[in-house]
Amino acid sequence: MASGRGGIPGPSRPCRLPLLFLPALLPLLVLLAFSFSPSSAVAAAASPGAMHNNNWAVLVCTSRFWFNYRHMANTLSLYRTVKRLGIPDERIILMLADDMACNPRNNYPAQVFNNENHQLNLYGDNVEVDYRGYEVTVENFLRVLTGRHESAVPRSKRLLSDEGSHILLYMTGHGGDEFLKFQDNEELQSHDLADAVKQMKEKHRFKELLIMVDTCQAATLFSQLHSPGVLAIGSSMKGENSYSHHLDSDIGVSVVDRFTFYTLAFFEKLNMYSNASLNSLFNSYNPSMLLSTAYYRMDLYERPLNEVIVR
Amino acid sequence: MAPPLSPPALRRLLLLVLSLLITSVAAENVEEFTEELLLRPLPDRKALAHFHFRSSAPPSAAPSRHHHHFPKAIAQLVHQFHIKELELSFTQGRWNYEQWGGYDPMSTNYAKPPGVELWATFDLPLGEIDATWKNLTHTLSGLFCASINFLESSTAFSSPRWGFKLNEGNLRYGALPREAVCTENLTPWLKLLPCRDKAGIASLLYRPSVYKGYYHSQKLKLASSKSFGIILDQTLTVVLQPDSVRGKQLHSADGQLQPSWSMKDLFNRKLSGKCLVSKSSRVFFEIEKNIVDKVDKSGTEASWTNEIFVLSSAPDRVLKEINNMDGHSSSICEYDVSNYNEDAPLDVGVTWKLPLIWSCTPAPYHANRFLMGSGNERGSISLSFISTNMHKQLFDVSNDCSIKAVVFQVVPWYVKVYYHTLEIFIDGNNKAISEVVDKINVTPSEDKLFPGTLEMLLRFPCSMQSAALSLDFDKGFLHIDEYPPDANQGFDIPSALVTFPEFNSSRSYPETDSLFVSPLLRTFKEDGVVKSYTEVLLVPLTTPDFSMPYNVITFTCTVLALYFGSLLNALRRRTGEEERELKKAGNPTMLICLPVYDAHISCVI
Repeated sequence: MASGRGGIPGPSRPCRLPLLFLPALLPLLVLLAFSFSPSSAVAAAASPGAMHNNNWAVLVCTSRFWFNYRHMANTLSLYRTVKRLGIPDERIILMLADDMACNPRNNYPAQVFNNENHQLNLYGDNVEVDYRGYEVTVENFLRVLTGRHESAVPRSKRLLSDEGSHILLYMTGHGGDEFLKFQDNEELQSHDLADAVKQMKEKHRFKELLIMVDTCQAATLFSQLHSPGVLAIGSSMKGENSYSHHLDSDIGVSVVDRFTFYTLAFFEKLNMYSNASLNSLFNSYNPSMLLSTAYYRMDLYERPLNEVIVR
Repeated sequence: MAPPLSPPALRRLLLLVLSLLITSVAAENVEEFTEELLLRPLPDRKALAHFHFRSSAPPSAAPSRHHHHFPKAIAQLVHQFHIKELELSFTQGRWNYEQWGGYDPMSTNYAKPPGVELWATFDLPLGEIDATWKNLTHTLSGLFCASINFLESSTAFSSPRWGFKLNEGNLRYGALPREAVCTENLTPWLKLLPCRDKAGIASLLYRPSVYKGYYHSQKLKLASSKSFGIILDQTLTVVLQPDSVRGKQLHSADGQLQPSWSMKDLFNRKLSGKCLVSKSSRVFFEIEKNIVDKVDKSGTEASWTNEIFVLSSAPDRVLKEINNMDGHSSSICEYDVSNYNEDAPLDVGVTWKLPLIWSCTPAPYHANRFLMGSGNERGSISLSFISTNMHKQLFDVSNDCSIKAVVFQVVPWYVKVYYHTLEIFIDGNNKAISEVVDKINVTPSEDKLFPGTLEMLLRFPCSMQSAALSLDFDKGFLHIDEYPPDANQGFDIPSALVTFPEFNSSRSYPETDSLFVSPLLRTFKEDGVVKSYTEVLLVPLTTPDFSMPYNVITFTCTVLALYFGSLLNALRRRTGEEERELKKAGNPTMLICLPVYDAHISCVI
């Protein structure tokens, strides 16, 4: 650090004396500023003392009625994957808008399949659904995200995340330009979602948030997001539809959507100890197989894409 | 004469006696868990399986204490909400009273209305009960993964005084007929058991076969007091159709054989041992009174093996019902699961040798309920009672003999019932209300505040063959926000309950083990008045056109835009202004763009 007197010796009048030292102090100040700025930049990027220490998943299926079986199967496939890769039921909020497994139209009671070969029963023996049926509304969804519940709401229905949480938010259903349809009579708009995420960030309810959306024109749903630390993947761009993968003639309806099918195909190869990265997930999406362009938005995300999604 | 005991032996004997005394005293303060399974063939080629798990916790002064097998969630629930008694049932399907009986402990206690039914009595001052009920519904919805929280608002629950259960005003009752019941309700229910579904009788619960049944009902019953602590009864009643691979043989003389089935056919697995924490683990096979009757008539004594059927293995004990009036009694074959393990699993079943047709004893009247009328403005609810003539065998049919029936019905506020239009028809003749109704308590509904509750005590003459009650109602209008997403399906009126207080369905069996009484058999012995639930009614209400708000906004905005557009255009637009501007400017290549007030810009070169 340079110090000492520099500058032009001026007239030795008392009121001008401090001014003499100004040029000398300037380099000192500049250097001090430099030393502070990296730490402040670091402080701005990550809240102090926030280490990643827990994972949460919020899985939402917004469609009702039997012909939307595939949306339920999508959500349950993700549920099964997330449980298998290590997130316990207490940290998963599962919202299913209708009951498919015990639906009278289901030939296979208590079983939900996402593939024609019926090899995997997604419903299993230990499923816990937190919000069901008529409870899946835009209001409840936003309450879960922002944490603003009535006092009587039990803990199992709350998202009790903190500033060290990584949260996976998966939404599926019917959607369109800047909205997602809830149960055929309500919509969630992209700016509502962006506001909820902003509230979450301000309340330190997450460290990193991954939003996956599997609906038609999915990418428009997160076009309004502006909070840092959020990564979003959508199954199609504006003007494109997301298609279902195949029809199961035994059950009678389509059983899974293409985007989720290929996402699952990627995850089925992993186990709890894999080190796969998000980059490889994105690279695995082949537009010709998806019949739509999977779009991801990374501008709000600081780290390079080399970590496993749910770890 | 026996030689006297040596001093060390005497000391050992004393110690043994003392330790026995201590354990017997301490046993009263210990948590206990028992598990039982009852199997019974039904007349319409189906099989009934009833799982009964009882967990009890001794009374304690402090609300917080360590638990061994008793689920802490339930103990906390009881202490936090000051619950005296609670019953929560999740049911899918309708108990077929015509085929499966209405006069035995099973149909009285375990035949429940479809959907969710919750009732609770609280040990609190009457003013605090509604708020506690609300918190209780939320807690239960989180605990059992169901939307029980919809019972929180006053439009969803009622407080009957004597129609459901006699109480001093601290009982609240609510039902959700359309609640789906699936694996996610069974999962937390099983997690309350000490062995979960990994060992013991609960390991039989193969989910696809449970949910493929014709009727399944899981129930949780809590009773708590300062004297006996908390008793938690968890029961699951399933009616299944066994895969009739073995049973489809046609018998030459009398028709089709009943299907032979065993636990492996019903649940895809066998019992390989008991839950090690349970005090006792037993499987019962019930042979009903009417089957015993028919087997006896054919000549052989009805034990576990006879001419008509044979059980898969010899039971450890056969218990015959005692105190039965007409001589024939049901019998229960008991198997102790602790005698079996993985190498020699237990598979209880029945093989039929000769065809047999029998019927289960019904309740005095078959109670049914249905809707009358058409259109979207009004309709009627009608309750019908059809005599089964069963009471004629029990009572002397004299002229002043009468049978009492209590009707309890809750109707949501949007079905506005006019209680003054109550009409009663006995054997087709219109009777005056005062002749038939002994006591009636009506809480009329109030729009958007509470549902309408009806409690009636009726007195029917014994010789009556059929009766019908009808009540007229008007269909109300809901606010657009109050309609559920699938409003076109209609709205449900929960099941009504019909009780026959003079008829008791209890049965007692001999207690062979003095130290231990089976909880299942003890519930059979308890005073159970005969009850039956009627059907759930589906009322189609007028639904508005839900796209109207969007249509209204679109039309209004278009009209306003056209109006203001034309108005401003007319006021501000000057014809020929563009040409004059051009002549003044004199530059032919400049593009002059002027906004015209009907929302587009016209550019002129």
